[in-house]
Amino acid sequence: MKLSSVNYLVGKGIKSVWKNKMMSFASFCIMLVSLLMVGLSVLASININKIISGIEGKNEVIVVIKDGLTDEAVTSLETNIKDINNVDTVSFYSKEEAWESMIKNMSQAEKDLFQYTDGDNPLPDTYKVSVKDIEKMAETTNRMSTLEGVESVKASSEFADVLISIRNIFSVIAIAVVIALIIVCLVIISNTTRTSVFSRRKEINIMKYVGATNKFIKIPFQIEGTIIGLLAAVAAFILTMFVYRGVFNLFQGNYQLWSILGINSLYSFKSIFLPVAVAYLVAGAVIGAIGTTISTSKYVKV
Amino acid sequence: MVEFNDVSVTYSSGVDALNHVSLKINDGDFAFVVGSSGAGKSTLIKLILKEIDATEGTVTVNGFNLSKLKRRKIPNLRRTLGIVFQDFRLIPTMTVYENVAFVLRVIDAPKKYIKSRVPYVISLVGLAHKAKAYPEQLSGGEQQRVALARALVNDPQLIIADEPTGNIDPALSYEIVELLKGINECGTTILMVTHEHDIVRHFGGRIININAGSIAFDETIGGANEA
Ligand SMILES: Nc1ncnc2c1ncn2[C@@H]1O[C@H](COP(=O)(O)OP(=O)(O)OP(=O)(O)O)[C@@H](O)[C@H]1O
Ligand SMILES: [Mg+2]
Repeated sequence: MKLSSVNYLVGKGIKSVWKNKMMSFASFCIMLVSLLMVGLSVLASININKIISGIEGKNEVIVVIKDGLTDEAVTSLETNIKDINNVDTVSFYSKEEAWESMIKNMSQAEKDLFQYTDGDNPLPDTYKVSVKDIEKMAETTNRMSTLEGVESVKASSEFADVLISIRNIFSVIAIAVVIALIIVCLVIISNTTRTSVFSRRKEINIMKYVGATNKFIKIPFQIEGTIIGLLAAVAAFILTMFVYRGVFNLFQGNYQLWSILGINSLYSFKSIFLPVAVAYLVAGAVIGAIGTTISTSKYVKV
Repeated sequence: MVEFNDVSVTYSSGVDALNHVSLKINDGDFAFVVGSSGAGKSTLIKLILKEIDATEGTVTVNGFNLSKLKRRKIPNLRRTLGIVFQDFRLIPTMTVYENVAFVLRVIDAPKKYIKSRVPYVISLVGLAHKAKAYPEQLSGGEQQRVALARALVNDPQLIIADEPTGNIDPALSYEIVELLKGINECGTTILMVTHEHDIVRHFGGRIININAGSIAFDETIGGANEA
């Protein structure tokens, strides 16, 4: 096909988007919502996965020591913990150390706020215990919680289990949403195509009589669908950027969250910028093109 | 060249629109197709365009055997034809120039060729001064001349006109037929369906009369203004 024809067809497609503003806008909105829902679900999933793998990598158990124990009791507790089969190493982490590391990671404003509680450290002494076999984690933590002088035992893997089930729910919802939205997208694109085929029926009729190929007749509609898809993709990308950054900042600003999960437990938007943009554009263009290809064969009887 | 060989058409409704029609239109011919309403004239045209297929018999147009022509090859057939309709069928949102140029664009003609060919055919039908006008700004006769320019622009071997004068003033009708005659003299075959006996009598030539799906009469008569 000649370059001038390509220009002509693309021009037709663009004009058609404008000519059927209402339908184009409706398709645009539906595609935008669909892309956003799917995109945000996927981003949520990959971040939860990252958190999970971060936690799972830590075979660490925190044993919180009862307040006011004698030094002997604390030492004998350490021996008792070491006696458990699955335990690898045990290290003492005093309430003062915990306090300092917490203050160190705080912003200035938070530090100022915490000045008032100085001298009254609310944190407990703990033992950081690493286990040999993560599989036997539950059994090991149970044993430890029955030991004398233990206030509580916190295994981060318990939190991972919770996250895994959240992620699984997310995945099921995401798949259901994807299927539903693809169907909705195809229906709405099909209607848009029908409207533009209708508004151009005279032209199409003449095109058939003068020997335009089917491809030539259909391409402008496919371009129209693709353009709408791409516009929706761009809008979805921009919205995703804002939403993602918002959530990310919220997360980073929440000390308790990242002290459990670790400061690098989320992907920064910068690091996922390119794949997200490419995924949106490809998905938008493909849904737009496929949708119109299906519906043009239906409405452009050639 | 158009050749019908024992062609019958039965519509799905059960109507026998054509019954065992055989006829041959040679290159360079000018033929009128006449007949009462419902006789099967448009059916004949639709067969040539391969809008419908013959229920029986074979149709050959410009070397294409239409019963063997695959659907996706239909554009190749139609590029050898020019078509004029009773209702003009111009695209209202396009100017005269665009309506004509459109035909060449959709068959992927070179841009340079479009630029020289389109003004030429528009001037052939005498509308050079109206090239930038829109169809609604033109009279019926002028609109039909645009349609004629559109049919001509791809230099077809055969022009088919289904009642091209049906929607325009009798006086202007003669102009249209004069134009068709002129095109015919340059070698293009013309097949024109008409109801208007005055026109047929005036111009003369080959007359194919269809009656109830059969050819009742197919002869060449002298026109009133024979050159
Ligand atoms: N698509 C169709 N389906 C069923 N019957 C049809 C169809 N088109 C035409 N017919 C019938 O076939 C017969 C021939 O129709 P055709 O259109 O060829 O007539 P015509 O000679 O062109 O008439 P007119 O001068 O009124 O245009 C008529 O009886 C008509 O009702
Ligand atoms: Mg008719």
